[in-house]
Amino acid sequence: MIHTVSQGIITGILMGAIYALIALGLSIVFGIMNVTNFAHGDFVMLSMYLSYAVGSALAWDAVATPLITAPLLFIFGFITYYLLIDRTLRQMYVVQLAVTVGLQILLRSLALIVWQAQPRALQYSIIQGNIQIAGFEILTSRLISAIISLIFIAGLAYFLNKTWAGRAMRAASDDLDAASLMGVNYHKTYALTFAIGSSITALAGGLLMSFQQTDPVGGVRFGLLSWAVLALAGLGSLPGLIVAGIIVGVVESLTVSFFDPRSRLLGVYAIFILVLWLRPRGLFGRR
Amino acid sequence: MLKVADLTKKFGNLIAVNCASFEVNRGEIIGLIGPNGAGKTTLFNAISGLYKPEGGTITFKGMNITGWLPHKICKLGMSRTFQVTRAFTHMTVEDTVRVGAYNRYNEKNVQEKVDQVVKICDLTDIRKRVCSDLGLASLRKVELARALATEPEMLLLDEAGAGLNATELETFMNLIKKLNQENKITFCVVEHVMQMVMGLCQQIVVLDSGEIIASGTPNQISTNARVIEAYLGKRAVHVRD
Amino acid sequence: MNFKKYFNQQNTFILIGLVIALVIPQAFKSSQYVMLLITTVLLYAILASAWNIIGGMAGQLDLAAAAYLGLGAFTTGTLLIQWNITPWVGMFLGGLIAMGLAILIGFPLFGFKVKELWYAISSSALVVVLQSLFMMWNEVGGPTEKYLPSGSSPWYSLRFNTYVPYYYIMVTILVVVILINRWIRYSKLGYSLLALGEDEDAVEVLGVNSQLSKLKALAIYAFICGVVGGLYACIYGYVHPAFFDTSMSMEITILGIVGGMGFIYGPAMAAIVMVSFREFLRASLGSQLAGLYLAVYAIILIVVALFQPRGIAPLFERGLKKIQTYFAELKRGHKADA
Repeated sequence: MIHTVSQGIITGILMGAIYALIALGLSIVFGIMNVTNFAHGDFVMLSMYLSYAVGSALAWDAVATPLITAPLLFIFGFITYYLLIDRTLRQMYVVQLAVTVGLQILLRSLALIVWQAQPRALQYSIIQGNIQIAGFEILTSRLISAIISLIFIAGLAYFLNKTWAGRAMRAASDDLDAASLMGVNYHKTYALTFAIGSSITALAGGLLMSFQQTDPVGGVRFGLLSWAVLALAGLGSLPGLIVAGIIVGVVESLTVSFFDPRSRLLGVYAIFILVLWLRPRGLFGRR
Repeated sequence: MLKVADLTKKFGNLIAVNCASFEVNRGEIIGLIGPNGAGKTTLFNAISGLYKPEGGTITFKGMNITGWLPHKICKLGMSRTFQVTRAFTHMTVEDTVRVGAYNRYNEKNVQEKVDQVVKICDLTDIRKRVCSDLGLASLRKVELARALATEPEMLLLDEAGAGLNATELETFMNLIKKLNQENKITFCVVEHVMQMVMGLCQQIVVLDSGEIIASGTPNQISTNARVIEAYLGKRAVHVRD
Repeated sequence: MNFKKYFNQQNTFILIGLVIALVIPQAFKSSQYVMLLITTVLLYAILASAWNIIGGMAGQLDLAAAAYLGLGAFTTGTLLIQWNITPWVGMFLGGLIAMGLAILIGFPLFGFKVKELWYAISSSALVVVLQSLFMMWNEVGGPTEKYLPSGSSPWYSLRFNTYVPYYYIMVTILVVVILINRWIRYSKLGYSLLALGEDEDAVEVLGVNSQLSKLKALAIYAFICGVVGGLYACIYGYVHPAFFDTSMSMEITILGIVGGMGFIYGPAMAAIVMVSFREFLRASLGSQLAGLYLAVYAIILIVVALFQPRGIAPLFERGLKKIQTYFAELKRGHKADA
């Protein structure tokens, strides 16, 4: 019993790091641009498919595929920003939601057209196998993915705090008009933000593909997961984001091991609603 | 009628309003002035229920309304306008007024009230127009009209005169005076346009950096050294010319 | 006076519409496929019109139509299968259950100052969550279809071997839903919803309880979806967790937006045009490209949302006004001649 719980918690923590990474992409877009990207989960789904395509075509390991998919997603994010998001910034809020919902459906149906409905998975991963620590089985691929996620989150935190581009992004988040007066072209900054947010999903997609399969409706799951993480974490706190990601990961993993694998989203949904009910600002949010 | 005591509102570490106290008597027109960022709009938002204050009490008609929801405060008899006009852009003028009129009227007699308010505010010509087609002066009137339709005993006007030209301002001031005298509505106005404050208000409260630094009649205020230093300066001299 | 004239004209349109509605089954009686298609179109028209109350008027981007539809279907189906309770009762109860869940979720989310966004996310997740829940709940749902018994009397168990009766029931519900729409639109609730869809603070200081208004709108919408869900189960003759279909929910939302947010007839018209178009696409190239029709849908949604955010109904209305003024001038011209 205790062993099962601990095993569930360990798996949850490892998954939670990746969820935090996915939510980070959403968080910078939402936090800096105040743009609600409804399609974020489907960006992850798309990334996973691209990883699958690259991995199977070049016989690469899933973890290596972001080398190609991340630039692709960066360009995709850039184009999406100028084509769609930029036009919604000064519109009614519902317009933005509607456009990104449209994007979500579009991505999902494109995946369905290109890769059909059956799930896809990559054949092998060099980081496959288990490590035994104190009697617990840990999937090496998950462990490494979690570590890469945490390193990347830390790296992005550094980027946001220390570089000019990062500071420009944060300035634009504080006050759009003031930032543009100070010489920050918010269109460019926003495009950069959105593109970075998208390419983060490429990294997450590659990591996920090292131990998971993908299907066209998988986006809904990642969407809910990342919004739940964001609701828990609130805006503006990266450590909060990691903790929230781990909470969500553990809740999901425990529902899977004690209830039913099909109920994995149930627990996540429950905490999502509870957080909105009890503390709409998030557990760690400053704003 | 309205009594604000030791009201404090913080945003994180920033104290937007600090221990503000003032009183408005029934039938008065009181002006609330101060430089940009002095906390006037925050004060209004706290009074009308959009913000929950951290400390202090707001008493309206003898009831403690601190922390009430805006629609309850409105039911009690207080409504407001906004600094940046917040029209219902896709609705017609008449429908906008109707939203307010439903506050005290039901389906049967709401039209009567709408007609009455539209007439008082001189909106008859544009009553069928959509708000997004209107200019600023008309929008200010529409905002006043929809607030008026809720039949308030007290109205808070947030920079109602900003951006209006001299004739438009004159009309607007006359309308407020008329409402004050004939409908016995108490007004509290936040204003930058000194001409409007001086011509309209019997009492003035001056706010600076979240604190009330002076209050009194227009004459007292315009000669108050601290006020001149903090805010009025050149403009006060200009008005008296 | 102008108002009256407008309504007269509208009433003529309605009359013509009703006559066509009555004649349609006589024309297509022979083809069950066509009748099913028309019934499906009507189903979407009803759901999109119901969505108009919460989405179009109140501006809440609801994505949970299939959740409420599925709840209604399972309630009706289970009652009929296990206790032989007529779907007429089941539909009503299904509506109530859908409404209850909607209020339960809507209450915290519509609390003061919680953004539209959270409601939209929660509603889109609700569909998936309910699907997995019913997948696990073997007594009621489960991975295999549960078939509805035909029973002795088709009118008791609502199981006909032709689609014509379903068609008539659907038409009736559609008319009722449109009437509800119209009634709400020109009542206190409607004006409050339209205004709060634009600016919630501004409407609160005018004495409108925005949380309550949104909850009312959501309750009515969920109830309609639940009732229609009951009928949906009867038409297909079984219940299955696949009824909780995220694509369908999104389609309803698209129809609502494309049709024209807050316009009474817009969503129904959009449903008639676009669902027919979808079925045409499906019939002509659905077998090769499964996701194509949704892709086309998505592009239409994006284009309309970007360039015509109020939907196509305002365009329609403007066109109608132009025709009206044209005829009015023609009349005046005649008088001047005389």
